[in-house]
Amino acid sequence: MIRSLSLAGLLAAAAALPALAQDKVVHIYNWSDYIAEDTIRKFEAETGIKVVYDVYDSNETLEAKLLAGHSGYDVVVPTSNFLQRQIAAGVYQPLDKSKLPNLENMDPELMKAAAAYDPDNTYGVIYMWGTNGIGYNVAKVAERLGEDAPTDSWSLIFDPKYAEKLADCGITLLDSASEVFPSALTYLGLDPLSKKPEDLEKAAGVIEAIRPYIRYYHSSQYISDLANGEVCVSLGYSGDVFQAAARAEEAGKGVEIAYSVPEEGAQQWFDMMAIPVDAPNPEAALAWINFIMKPEITADITNYVWYANANTASLPLVDPEIRDDPAIFPGPDVLAKLYPAQVYDARTDRLITKLWTRAKTGQ
Amino acid sequence: MSAVIERVAPLRWTAALLAALGLRGRTLVIAVPMLWLLIFFLVPFLVVAKLSVSEPAIAMPPYLPLVERDGARMTISLSFENFGYLFDDPLYIKAYFFSIRLAFFSAVLTLLIGYPIAYYIARSSEARRSVLLMLVILPFWTSFLLRVYAWQGFLRSNGVINNFLLWTGIIDQPLVMLQTNFAVYLGIVYTYLPFMILPLYANLVKLDEALLEASADLGGRPLPTFFHVTLPLSMPGIIAGFMLVFVPAIGEFVIPELLGGPDTLMIGRVLWNEFFSNRDWPTASAVAIAMLIALVIPIMILRTAQQRVEEE
Amino acid sequence: MNTPVPVATSKPWITGAEPPFIRISKVTKRFGDFYAVDDVSLDIYKGELFCLLGGSGCGKSTLLRMLAGFETPTEGRIEIDGQDMAGKAPYERPTNMMFQSYALFPHMTVEKNVAYGLYRDGMKKAEAMEKVAEMLRLVQLTPFASRKPHQLSGGQRQRVALARSLVKRPKLLLLDEPLGALDKKLREETQFELIKIQESLGVTFIVVTHDQEEAMTLASRIGVMNAGQIVQVGEPPEIYEHPNSRFVADFIGSVNMFEGRVTEDEPDYIRLGVADLGGSIYVGHGVSCVLDQQLWYAVRPEKIRISRTRPDKTENVFRAVVDEIAYMGNISIHRLKLPTGRLLSATKANLTRHDDEAITWGDEVWVTWDDTAGAVLTR
Repeated sequence: MIRSLSLAGLLAAAAALPALAQDKVVHIYNWSDYIAEDTIRKFEAETGIKVVYDVYDSNETLEAKLLAGHSGYDVVVPTSNFLQRQIAAGVYQPLDKSKLPNLENMDPELMKAAAAYDPDNTYGVIYMWGTNGIGYNVAKVAERLGEDAPTDSWSLIFDPKYAEKLADCGITLLDSASEVFPSALTYLGLDPLSKKPEDLEKAAGVIEAIRPYIRYYHSSQYISDLANGEVCVSLGYSGDVFQAAARAEEAGKGVEIAYSVPEEGAQQWFDMMAIPVDAPNPEAALAWINFIMKPEITADITNYVWYANANTASLPLVDPEIRDDPAIFPGPDVLAKLYPAQVYDARTDRLITKLWTRAKTGQ
Repeated sequence: MSAVIERVAPLRWTAALLAALGLRGRTLVIAVPMLWLLIFFLVPFLVVAKLSVSEPAIAMPPYLPLVERDGARMTISLSFENFGYLFDDPLYIKAYFFSIRLAFFSAVLTLLIGYPIAYYIARSSEARRSVLLMLVILPFWTSFLLRVYAWQGFLRSNGVINNFLLWTGIIDQPLVMLQTNFAVYLGIVYTYLPFMILPLYANLVKLDEALLEASADLGGRPLPTFFHVTLPLSMPGIIAGFMLVFVPAIGEFVIPELLGGPDTLMIGRVLWNEFFSNRDWPTASAVAIAMLIALVIPIMILRTAQQRVEEE
Repeated sequence: MNTPVPVATSKPWITGAEPPFIRISKVTKRFGDFYAVDDVSLDIYKGELFCLLGGSGCGKSTLLRMLAGFETPTEGRIEIDGQDMAGKAPYERPTNMMFQSYALFPHMTVEKNVAYGLYRDGMKKAEAMEKVAEMLRLVQLTPFASRKPHQLSGGQRQRVALARSLVKRPKLLLLDEPLGALDKKLREETQFELIKIQESLGVTFIVVTHDQEEAMTLASRIGVMNAGQIVQVGEPPEIYEHPNSRFVADFIGSVNMFEGRVTEDEPDYIRLGVADLGGSIYVGHGVSCVLDQQLWYAVRPEKIRISRTRPDKTENVFRAVVDEIAYMGNISIHRLKLPTGRLLSATKANLTRHDDEAITWGDEVWVTWDDTAGAVLTR
């Protein structure tokens, strides 16, 4: 949240000034660190449309802007479960599929999975997808827990006996109840999609029990902190952890970061490109979405951000190192253990927020 | 001033126009701040107040309109349920108290650190004074956010302080300083220190040296002189500085968010949570309104104290 | 006059019967290159009301502040009651000071202000309150005990300051322009009150003032200061009647000053040739000087007599025309123009209410003074 406030926000504001002079401008609001370095330049070169690019690091931030109305963005990238609720709130306009010929590049199976949130894929196209799992510092975890550390299990984080030993090198959780609760439920062997208050209370109990060992709850800070050894275990987004690993390798200080999809199961999510109902320039928005769906563009992004895409045509262009990594493009055995991101009704939502705040603060 | 108005044509016309509307210079002087307050304080406050009695909904914006029209019928529905939540859940009350406590101790710490600095500046030679004041104000030239981020760099486990301490061998394990209440206190004290120093300085620089001499002359050693003369006479400055630190610190969000740990339960964070995570704008507004009311009481107490001190 | 003169015994600076209470020896205070006080030596005796008189910037306040301990002498030594004051902080000195601004603590009541010094000495409340009450009675402020300074008039504040500085019964009270902020009428009343209080308490006072009338009224002795130095020390009549320099003569009261040269130098008189007068001045006592030496002669306006008829004497008689008359009520000041064009001033008491014979503008008059009325000044 804060990160988007500072540097990117300033850059966006600065970029917005000359943009006024031009007719064709598209305002993109995407997750931080979620695009290839040259994507925007290529788009501008090809279409002549100027891009104003701004970033966020949580669905909540995005949603607050969208619900307030007149966000001024043409394309936003909510996660599927948020997309679903926002569709209900009337935030989006249906996509004009005649303007999206590149839709044919998309993986029909994954688009079908995404249709669970967005029937007939009326409002959204998959940008990237991934899982929520565990990012960890291989050496530091081994140093504290030995060779047989349960790095492929949620118990690494949620079992106080391990968490306690890891506390001094730093455990972080995503600052989002809708991401952490299902993981805690999975750890308990309960239905990750459960809305039963008693299940949620139990999950809250798990989260609260490890509270003393948590360094912080944040949804993007852990990328750099993992990379430079500031923290050693994070419940995080797959691609973010890979980015951390890549940064650590670049830094060359001997920090090795690994990502695992816990064997108990993990949340699968889709980040969906969608067009707000009050987008100032929906034509340009469609052009952007169609451009992203070009195989080479999507492949660029995947190669840069280490997230899986849903673009079948792009796969030949993706680095084999990424394409063949089961943690990024999971095989059938892992896919079977993934569960979708949950959408809660207002009552459950309030309960979860309350439990979450309590678990986080210990109050 | 009026001479300038006479000479510059657009100003002259504006003045004539305003005069025709019955607005004269003096009225305008009052009208401008009034208008400012109206637009930037009262109107937003009313918007928030309105929100706080609305009902949340999955919609855009995410609450139901207060006024509904159905032909000739008009229904106004006010929901006070949002305020009810605040008392249902001890979280809010706890957050209020935590915030007030943290703000209070921050203000006390700021005072303890700021007073000697302000005193020293006020007692320095004039040339030196302006340099020192400049140094106090200097940090404002950098973004507040950047400065708080810089503290992260200092406090983190492999940050400047820990690296130094490890290097000297004073500690062999990095101290956990970031994401603790200690870091929040540090951040608030650091950020708000100028707001304490400046009013204190303004007060202390006016302190009549002859009073200190009189005290010494009557047998007052430096310490008793400080407690019986300097301190009571600087009360207006202390109260002003205290208010300038205490009040904004209660609602502080950025510092606890960036430097605080998960258990730094500041009302600003609760509000943020309510607004963003819960997208419950009405409850968030109710929290804000309640915070304002909760704030008004300490402010009133301090204001009365200040007035009483100033009258004397 | 067979009995011993009591005045003499009360004037130890003449008799040397007791050691000085305050000894200021060779004290210099420099601020950078500026000599605020320049090699001052001065002895002040117990029970004196000593006035340091001088214009602004003459160093009198600096000298006072060195006595109080607010400034440290650059050179020299200050002793109070036989004790060297070097290195003693203000709160360790047996002195108290009444500030020009009064420096009353604005946040304390009159009572608390007065009691402040007593409490600093650790006195118990009951005892302190008794002393405060006594002090307030003395300065007639009992009804105002619980007021704050800003609720008092200037005169009342002055008395609070006095009470506060006296309540500890200091050996030495230093007063910096104690009456400076009062209007003329109040000042006159207060002068006598101050003397009364000083006498009844027997405290030694050192008063700094720029007002020569005030100094004359108050002082047992006056020290006239100029440019950091003490120019003359003496009792008020001595300073007034026997100034030792043109500066003192000019500073104290008004004076007619003539520059002349010695034309006759005899053991029992001298004669000065004065160009301004177009004649000579006869001085009826011996003066150590040499012939043709340049000297000054000062004569006070009230010593000069004017008349329409020629006075029955030969020396110090001059013609003049009345140029202007300033009527002051009790006296009138006549400005007289001599044939040389030089102006003289002379005062004349208004003895009657109507005087048809009174000298008036444009009258030709005779001017004269006694041959012992003026002072011969060498510097």
